[in-house]
Parts: sequence; C-alpha cells; structure tokens
Amino acid sequence: MEFGPHLFLATLEGAIGAAVLALMAVGLSIVFGIMRVVNVAHGEFYMLGAVIAWWITSLIGGHPAYGFLAALIVAPLIVGLIAALADHLVLRRINYDPERTIVATIGLLYVLQQLTLMTFGADARPVEAPFNKRLALPWFENGADGLAMYWPWGLSTTTYKLAVIVAAIVVLVALWLLMTKTRAGLIMRATQLNRDMALAHGIPVEKVYALVFGLGAAIAALAAVLVVPIQQAHYLMGGDPLLLSFIVVIIGGLGSIPGTIVAAILIGMSDGIISVFFSPTLAKILATLLVAFVLIFRPQGLFGKRIS
Amino acid sequence: MLNLNNIEVAYDNVQVLFDVSFDVKAGEIMCLLGRNGAGKTTALKSIMGLLPLKSGSIQCEDNTLSTLSAYEIPKQGIAYVPQGRGLFSELTVAQNIEIGLMVKGSNPAVREHVLDMFPRLRERLKQRAETLSGGEQQMLAMARALSMEPKLLLLDEPTEGLQPSIIALIKDVIVKLKNEGVAVLLVEHHIDTVLSIADRVAFIENGRCPEISDIANLQNNQAKIRGYLGIS
Repeated sequence: MEFGPHLFLATLEGAIGAAVLALMAVGLSIVFGIMRVVNVAHGEFYMLGAVIAWWITSLIGGHPAYGFLAALIVAPLIVGLIAALADHLVLRRINYDPERTIVATIGLLYVLQQLTLMTFGADARPVEAPFNKRLALPWFENGADGLAMYWPWGLSTTTYKLAVIVAAIVVLVALWLLMTKTRAGLIMRATQLNRDMALAHGIPVEKVYALVFGLGAAIAALAAVLVVPIQQAHYLMGGDPLLLSFIVVIIGGLGSIPGTIVAAILIGMSDGIISVFFSPTLAKILATLLVAFVLIFRPQGLFGKRIS
Repeated sequence: MLNLNNIEVAYDNVQVLFDVSFDVKAGEIMCLLGRNGAGKTTALKSIMGLLPLKSGSIQCEDNTLSTLSAYEIPKQGIAYVPQGRGLFSELTVAQNIEIGLMVKGSNPAVREHVLDMFPRLRERLKQRAETLSGGEQQMLAMARALSMEPKLLLLDEPTEGLQPSIIALIKDVIVKLKNEGVAVLLVEHHIDTVLSIADRVAFIENGRCPEISDIANLQNNQAKIRGYLGIS
C-alpha cells in the first residue's frame, strides 16, 4: 500500500483508539476534578466492564446484537454501582484524603483484579460485534487526467469500528450536556469549585461524590463494552488504558474535560499512527516523553489552571 | 432562634473555642466582635456544621443543629456568607443564585425579589462570578444567601474591603432583613457599622465569650470595643 492510503488507515485506527481513550480518560478526569481523588483502580472498572460484557453476551443467545445491547446498558450500571459501593465503604471512611485515597484505590485495583481472576478465570474472552460489515475505503489522487478515485487493496475498515467512534462522540456530547445544561451538572460543578459552600447550600456532597465516582467508573465500563468486540476481555486488560488515561489527563490538565478530550485525540491518534508505521513501544515512549515535557514546561497541563 | 450552649471546637489537637455560649433572637442583629484569630469564624463554621463540636450543642428553634449533617443545616433556614464570599467562581451570577434557590425549591418570585434588592446583578446574570468587582461579588454572596429565604443569616465580615457606597447598601439590606424578622449573626470589625446596626455584641477573646452587651451600653464606651479589637 502506498504511503497516503497507509497513513489514512493508520489515522482511522488511531481515531478508534482516541475515541475509547477519550471516554476512559474523561471518567478519570471527572473523578479527579470533582472529588480530587486519583483513582488508580479506574483501569479495573474498565476491565470489569469488558468482562461483564462477555458474561452477559455469553448468557444471552440469539443474534449477537441482543447480548451486546444488554451489555451496553447493564455492564456500566453494574460497574457504576460497584464503584459507588467502593466509595461508600472505602473512600468516604478515609474522608477523601488525597494521599490515602491513592493507597486505597491501589488496594481496590488488586481486589477487583483478583476477584475477577477467581470468578472468570485467566482466559481472554471474545465478544462478537453486533454488526461487522467490512467497508472498502476509496482514495483520491491527482493524476494526468485530474483527480481520480480508486480503491487501494487493504484500505478498509468495519462498520463496527466506525460505530465505536460515533458512539464515543455521542457519549461525550451527552456528558458535556449533563455537566453544562442540567441541574445535576450544576450541583457537580458547584461541589467541584467549593466543597464547603456546596454543603452550606444544602448539597449532599458525599452523595454527589458517590454519584461522580459511579459515573466515572460507568463511563470507563462503557468504553470497555465498546472496545471488547475489537479486543478480548481479560482480567489484566486495565493496565495499559489506565497508563494512557493518566498520560491524557496530565497533558490535558487534571480535571479539565475539554483538555482531556483534546489530549485523548492527540495521544490516541499518535499512538495509532506511530504503532502502524514504527512500533507500539515507540508510541508509548513518545507519549511518556510528552508527559515529561508537559510536567516540566506546563505542569497544569494544556487546559488546566495553575493553582495559586 | 439560635442558641450556642457551651460549645468547644478544635482543629485536630488545637482547641479554638472554649465553653462559648450566646444566643441570637429573631429580628435581632447580634455582632460577634474580637481580634483576628479569636474564634469568630470558627463559631460561624461550627453553626453551619462545617466543623464538628468537641462538646456542647447548637440549637436552632426546636432543632439540634449539632446532630445534623452539614448539608441539612441550610434546610433549617440558615444561610451563610463566609469571609472572602465563597462564591462558585467559575459559575455565572445566575447559576450562583440558582444554587441558593435550590435549597427551598427554586421559586422564581424569590429570585426576582433578590435581584430587586441588588439591581446591578440583574445586568450581570450571565457573567462569571470571578469576573465581578469586589463589591459586586459581595452583593452576589448576599443575594445567593437571601435566595435561600433564611430565618437566620450568618455574615462573616461582609463589608471588608468595600467602598463606602457598597457598605451602605449592605448595611441597608441587613437592617431591612432584621425588620422582616430575620435573625442576623454578624462578624464585623468596623466599629461604626457595629454601633449603627447591631442590637447586641458578643465579645470573643482567645476562644472564649467573656461578655455579651447591649449596644446601648457600648454607644458611649467605644474604648471597650477598641480593647477587644486590640486597637489602641
């Protein structure tokens, strides 16, 4: 394949990674932004979403779309409830102390990981996509007869992969509307800006925190349900997305949703493109280097505010 | 209306309030007066449930506030304007007021009433709170508190750093609230403001409340006020 179509294909693969990463990182970012909790267990909520999706689709027979649709609704709900319960049982008891919550969520990471291993085993589990039609993609080139369209061999994607990008955009827009246009969003933003004054205005901050922790985990689980027909569900699958999510939220600015989305596109796309042309390891090295530069030259991230 | 009964408050192991008792009656302006660090703000935060009591109790009408969660206290009709205003800085003026209105169920008539008291805010409804001038921010903090339709209003240095015309407006609003039967607990350093609007003064010194005095007894004894404030 020539360079142009190859780059286009790599960009498309990068866009799928960026879409899933944006969802995952936004979940991490709202938890940090509102609760000031660095949730090290976020990757395990992602992993749980994938494993529960496999479990639900294997329970429901018939067309793969039935099981997938059920997983799309039920897996984020279950994971969100588990996270809200973890908030109630663990984080609330240590008063959301920033240092202790890091240690607590590391503990939660191992508990969730090992419970999944004990319950579902160590095998990688496939989930069938609800639809997966292959689409050949056209390429345009300026030749002697002007602009000509042709169909390069190997330049193709699937309807499901395109649907993942669309679904991620829909979820991100819905989240933006929730945060900016609804009363619940107003309450969450008020809690983020001034916890004590939120309490002094009758906002039950601990309930808001449980909701936000559950919402962040549910978004990660949703990302996992979307990705599990492309990657398989496995009890160790949370590590890499967690690392990339931390990279994204640091570059974007901790707690900044627009920054997180821009950084997810930057990192996801570059990860996809560099992985195709060079190697996935080089992509990770460059992303980590970028974090280092951001921390040195703009520690608040691209869109974050410097704390005075 | 409000009774603080022998309250003791500590930040970790450092005790700040010792056996403090005073009351505020409906339609009364009670002023807490003392030097910086004496414990006035701590007393207000304790009333709002933002600091736990080590001992003692706080009653508001028939309710024991000290047994309630902090978020339940505003629902008892208590509003708080902290020192530094405590605005939700990135929210607009309208959104800050909406947060206050939510306590009693977002009544549009209350919103209009509050904006009538501070007409300048009506012109700034879509502006972010952090972009307002100091005086406008104080008006917004008051407006947000009043949108909760409080029976008891706690004000922590509401005239600090403001120009005289804004101070006059704030004083007018406080007196108007008193005349409507609202109890006001005011932390204030301006002696003139205290003497012109307060009904009683509770002096706070080193975390204790050694004296409560009617304002009439202080009108000709400003030396006492200066003494408690540490002004020579």
